[in-house]
Amino acid sequence: MTASPGPAASAAIAKAYGRVVRRRAVLLAVLGLIAICAFMLDLGTGPSNLGWREVLRGLFDAGALNGAQSAILWEVRLPQALLALLVGLALATAGAEMQTILGNPLASPFTLGVSSASSFGAALAIVLGIGIPGVPQNWIVSANAFVFAFIAVIVLQSVVRLRGSGTDILVLCGIALFFTFNALVALTQFLASQQALQQLVFWIMGSLSRASMDKVRLLAVVVVIALPFAQRAAWPMMALRLGEDRARSLGIHVVRLRFMALLRISILTATAMAFVGTIGFVGLAGPHIARLLIGEDHRFFLPASALTGAIIMSLASVASKSIVPGVLIPIGIVTALIGLPVFFSLIFRRQGDA
Amino acid sequence: MAARIRRSLLLALVCVLATLSARAVAQPVTVTDVAGRTVTLAQPAQRILLAEGRQITALALLHPDPVSLLAGWLGDFRRNDSESYALYRARFPAIDAVPVIGVGNDGSFAVEQAIAIKPDVAVLGVSFAPGGRSNDVARQLEAAGIPVVFTDFFVNPFDNTIPSLRLLAQVIGRDAQADAYIAFYRAHMQRISDRLAGVKTRPTILFETHAGVSDCCHAPGAGNIGRFITFAGGDSISAQISKGPTAQLGLEYVLTRDPEVYVGTGGAHLKATGGLVIGPGFDRATILARLAAVVARPGFAELKAVRDKRVHGLFHNIMATPLNLLATEALARWLHPEAMKDVDPDATMAEINARFLAVPMQGIYWIDLK
Repeated sequence: MTASPGPAASAAIAKAYGRVVRRRAVLLAVLGLIAICAFMLDLGTGPSNLGWREVLRGLFDAGALNGAQSAILWEVRLPQALLALLVGLALATAGAEMQTILGNPLASPFTLGVSSASSFGAALAIVLGIGIPGVPQNWIVSANAFVFAFIAVIVLQSVVRLRGSGTDILVLCGIALFFTFNALVALTQFLASQQALQQLVFWIMGSLSRASMDKVRLLAVVVVIALPFAQRAAWPMMALRLGEDRARSLGIHVVRLRFMALLRISILTATAMAFVGTIGFVGLAGPHIARLLIGEDHRFFLPASALTGAIIMSLASVASKSIVPGVLIPIGIVTALIGLPVFFSLIFRRQGDA
Repeated sequence: MAARIRRSLLLALVCVLATLSARAVAQPVTVTDVAGRTVTLAQPAQRILLAEGRQITALALLHPDPVSLLAGWLGDFRRNDSESYALYRARFPAIDAVPVIGVGNDGSFAVEQAIAIKPDVAVLGVSFAPGGRSNDVARQLEAAGIPVVFTDFFVNPFDNTIPSLRLLAQVIGRDAQADAYIAFYRAHMQRISDRLAGVKTRPTILFETHAGVSDCCHAPGAGNIGRFITFAGGDSISAQISKGPTAQLGLEYVLTRDPEVYVGTGGAHLKATGGLVIGPGFDRATILARLAAVVARPGFAELKAVRDKRVHGLFHNIMATPLNLLATEALARWLHPEAMKDVDPDATMAEINARFLAVPMQGIYWIDLK
């Protein structure tokens, strides 16, 4: 081994690196393509006989469908499919960033109590009728869920502020939040009438049937703003992945980086969960699947996580509509069942390689 | 001597007579409850523990002062039907003093407190019966010497309403009142069957329970409330989805089936979350505004029921009481307005108020969105 590689070796390394980058870019494009196909499949699936041909025609020609068909397309299929896609993008990005800033593969908005907090917010509205004053009644459940998810992340952030860089403390604090809010949710369940209990359980299981174009627009705005910022932080995040000291020696303000990432995570998670309920699996598995496919390079890892999340959600949406015709099985249940086999197969393949 | 004998004989006679008359007052009561168990009470119960607080409505059909019968109850009636509770409180202020042995659903039943208040009998819903979710409660109460009877106005109200009402009446010794109401109930149900005899059509209907709050659409399956819909001559679009008590429909399925009639249920319990409010305590304008909002949700404008203005609201909480007869009449009328011309739930309600109910119903329990 020589101390420094010669020019030929450097060129070889650069070439190899170029190959890796190209391969990753191609993988990313493939993921993007799969996401689009999954979205189209989602649009073309439903209990009525509105296939994707009619859907395509209806999308571009307003007169092609009759009243009921057009309502199915514009009020049911399209908002649900778009919401599935956006929720997948948002939760998987949030999960990916969380895993990196905490250096913990088990971290996700679900494991750190953010989703429990949003469930508690929803429970307050559903069971006790407590909402934020001034919020229209149709939005009080969503608004409560958002506010409580945000509160949870603010608590986590103040831990970052107070204790600086200790990720262990952050994780422990997240777990404490998880148990606290779960206990509070259980308390409201204990107080709930049968009707409210049922409504709450359905909310917690997560469902796309509460989709509407208003919600799609709101979440789209959040995703469009947050994702480019996440992408811009890819380099410093990558450095953080190599270790906190290394990142600091490269001149990265780690506390600030964590703070900004947590802010993005909180807004993405809180908005997504406010609209569809708690869908835990995407935030955990999306990033892991992406990492197994594409590696740690955050420039590729982040978009790959987002796209994987979108694919999981779209396919889960297809399954939730197809398993029992006419019934929309709560997507939180299906997501885990759809994602797990993929997740396991990747884990075992990787162990086989090693 | 003879006088003493005469006096003792007289005394003995008085004693025997007193015992006999006391026994006539306190005849043991043996009943068979809806879980098929035979239960014997030493005498008709004067102090009842009511595990489903809303069954106060059934007691109000049988007894002029139903509140006086309560030794304790669960808080469900007060919490989930606050406006009906207000009607009872206006008539019987003592209702506020009835011990509450649980704040909400049957999981909150506080057995120790229930035993401490020493009721003559505990009337429990079938979720407490063997095999039910909370069956330990019944075992513990019986171990403490409190007789337990199971009624059911909730799981299978179509079959069990009449047996449960009769059972309640036997427990409190008011059989005659139950007989009168049951005859009335049967005659009115029979009238619906008679009017339907010549009717060939079965309009499709979406019966959305707790309308406007949960995801579209929560509806009864073929069981439970679904039985009343079928009886009233409707083809419930949710019946095929589930044979059980409830079904969760997707909006696309609803749009595809395109029901001819829409009925949403609601009440004060949906006030906070923006759902349909109806029943005592709400004026016509408020109810209509909420009902209009329910069918203004995305996609609903396309439904035939909405376009044809066959949209109706129904007070949810009467389904799980012996007053479900009124809901059945309203349903039948909405489904078959021609055949049911002489079926008038408002008139039936007026008669029930006048003849049976200790606390009359007040307000709008069913409504049409014109």
